[in-house]
Amino acid sequence: MAYVAIADRDHHLHDPDTFITKYIWSQDHKVIAIQYGVVAIGVGLIALALSLLMRLQIGFPDLFSFMTPYNYYQYVTTHGMIMVIYLLTALFLGGFGNYLIPLMCGARDMVFPYMNMLSFWVYLLSVIVLIASFFVPGGATGAGWTLYPPQAILDGTPGSDWGIVLMLVSLAIFIVAFTMGGLNYVTTVLQARCRGMTLMRMPLSVWGIFVATILGLLAFPALFVAAIMMTLDRMIGTSFFMPALLALGETTDTTGGSPILFQHLFWFFGHPEVYIVALPAFGIVSDLLSTHARKNIFGYRMMVWAIVAIGALSFVVWAHHMYVSGMNPYFGFFFATTTLIIAVPTAIKVYNWVLTLWRGDIHLNLPMLWATGFIFTFIHGGLTGLFLGNVTVDLPLSDTYFVIGHFHMVMGVSPVMVLFGAIYHWFPKITGRMPNDVLGKIHFWMTFLGTYAIYLPMHYLGILGMPRRYYDYGQTDFIPDSALGVNQGITIAAIVVATAQLIFLFNVALSLWKGKRADSNPWRATTLEWQTPDTPPKHGNWGPKLPEVHRWAYDYSVPGDEADFIPQNHPIKPGEESLRVAGASRK
Amino acid sequence: MMTGLAIGLVLGVTVWWVLIQRLKDKPWERQGVIEGSQDGLTSSAPKVGLWVFMAMVASLFLIFNGAYLMRMGFGHGELVGWVPLDEPGILWLNTFVLVAASGAMQTATGAARKGDLGALRTWFTAGGVLSVVFLAGQLLAWQQLAATGRYGVSDPAYSFFILLTAIHGLHLVGGLVVLGRTAAQVWRGLDTENVVAVGTIRQTVRLCTTYWHFLLLVWLGLFTQLSIT
Repeated sequence: MAYVAIADRDHHLHDPDTFITKYIWSQDHKVIAIQYGVVAIGVGLIALALSLLMRLQIGFPDLFSFMTPYNYYQYVTTHGMIMVIYLLTALFLGGFGNYLIPLMCGARDMVFPYMNMLSFWVYLLSVIVLIASFFVPGGATGAGWTLYPPQAILDGTPGSDWGIVLMLVSLAIFIVAFTMGGLNYVTTVLQARCRGMTLMRMPLSVWGIFVATILGLLAFPALFVAAIMMTLDRMIGTSFFMPALLALGETTDTTGGSPILFQHLFWFFGHPEVYIVALPAFGIVSDLLSTHARKNIFGYRMMVWAIVAIGALSFVVWAHHMYVSGMNPYFGFFFATTTLIIAVPTAIKVYNWVLTLWRGDIHLNLPMLWATGFIFTFIHGGLTGLFLGNVTVDLPLSDTYFVIGHFHMVMGVSPVMVLFGAIYHWFPKITGRMPNDVLGKIHFWMTFLGTYAIYLPMHYLGILGMPRRYYDYGQTDFIPDSALGVNQGITIAAIVVATAQLIFLFNVALSLWKGKRADSNPWRATTLEWQTPDTPPKHGNWGPKLPEVHRWAYDYSVPGDEADFIPQNHPIKPGEESLRVAGASRK
Repeated sequence: MMTGLAIGLVLGVTVWWVLIQRLKDKPWERQGVIEGSQDGLTSSAPKVGLWVFMAMVASLFLIFNGAYLMRMGFGHGELVGWVPLDEPGILWLNTFVLVAASGAMQTATGAARKGDLGALRTWFTAGGVLSVVFLAGQLLAWQQLAATGRYGVSDPAYSFFILLTAIHGLHLVGGLVVLGRTAAQVWRGLDTENVVAVGTIRQTVRLCTTYWHFLLLVWLGLFTQLSIT
């Protein structure tokens, strides 16, 4: 077939002309990104409210009459599932992936815009199904976010009639939505980059999102398989996961099913999922640190390789979530080893972030505050991961508050730190207005210090042996009274942090309404999205001509150049080559 | 099992190493527009999209395969309840039909490349019809199994058989939707002067063929596994 570059064809795809095609059934990646973002943040607020209800029960038992054990487990489950999948995955990939990939790669849009639009609407459907599970007979499932069978589908577990089915169906729908989006993100990165944009010139944000999407496309099928098989176990009585059981005095019809098979499937998805959330965060934070420290990212090549290595290794560590499942002890040894190996590329990234800051011209503005905050929370969360990765240390700590503290720090707070940094960083490009600095700083400090007040004491509670997922602790010898005091403190801190998020929402509303107008490149950044002819970028992003890339994404403070940044699309100046060599030898 | 995991790890590291050989550029040294690199959206995007999708579907079936083996009792000798299924003979016929469908699609691709519209219509439609026959055959196999009355819903070999054939069939139905739409376009007639329209049809036919070969491969793997266990 004759080669016809689609960008050069005279007809233009999906030009929006009505309000509906522009803002609702939109195929524009920027609108879809905002749609994803709004829904994800909205559903995340529900999950935040649920977590407050849980915390109030733990800190101040019997405060509310409606907080029964039944409700408590429903809230625990829905909180976890929303935060991990419907908020973090959707916001990083559906939100930032959609917004940044075409703009940072110099494309006009995603390669399959119609499918991209469907992706959002199917995602919205999955959210609606999930929320609907609260309103069916028996309510939402209370099986815990890991949904382990057999208890997830047995009588006596909250929501075992319809809640669990809707949860599984919602997950399956989400995976369909993710697939449609994910095909777009991968194909756009591979096929729609502008002239001069080699893979090794892509900003690390794109690298992180790209590899995370590949992980998602390969790992989500495991959850899909598990969801289908469990739905069948529940609905028509197959025995994929259901062993012969004596439940409530009656034997079930099922025989020989393997509950541990579900755990393998769940965690074969579940562990890559950690990196599906973390890799985009790693990428984005690299760009924030580099831009606001006015310095090129330290070890760009190593950063790319580390992202790829972490992505590959994330598929061989899943059973470290299952040390107490009774699996073969040699398995534990193998998975402990791989878990420690994955710490190596991760540590490379942390060192490189710190070295990027080293002697940089650090501007402590809003995005930078969140980005540096991330380095703190990620190191703390990562270090406790080394404890839990070792079988002998994990066994006593398993299912205690230590685990809660660890994973909230490493994959709850840390990615959220990056998300807020990213929102403040790209807010001017997305909306054309600057976010309010004072409100943003209050938001940051309350959140940053508040999350430490929440999660550091949890490690202590875990070492005391306080088990997680309990509705009430009653009278136990090994839990001292002081633990209740700690729990009250944690709950108060959680309320403070949740209040800080209201400040964020207020900031967004206020800045949208009367924020200072932003120019096209307020942070003086090098990447392509800041070089668009319009802010916010119009449909098609680039006006009549696509940009052309002449350099990598990190030309900050180039020796001999009067400006401290050179955008990617600026041609090489005469004599620049020799200046660089001189600058390199001076270092 | 440990050996398998170790081999997997070595394999993973090798793949990673090969991959980063392609990512050896030092972008801070190479300046200017690099010729031969990507240059805007290319027409091969749908092909790449399809391959990414097939990688995901392959992952889905491999994971099903792992679940199947584990449920059979590999590594979990204590599990009970696995009774090998007596697969109906019609599956051999179905396999033959699906091979024929794949062959018809391949011939249609050749016709599209040569610009032979008549042959394209015939073979492309034949591919679709044969696929529908395959699906009907699979339904017949289900019916035959159910008619024996030997298998209950909690029988794992039986439920896996139904589940896997259903998932494979659904992927074929998805392909048939695309095939149907394209076939309708081909039958309505083509403006042979319109380079873009002809190119698009040619590409769609080729991509359908790739997908059909892929689903045939998946089915051969599935069929083998179902037959020997």
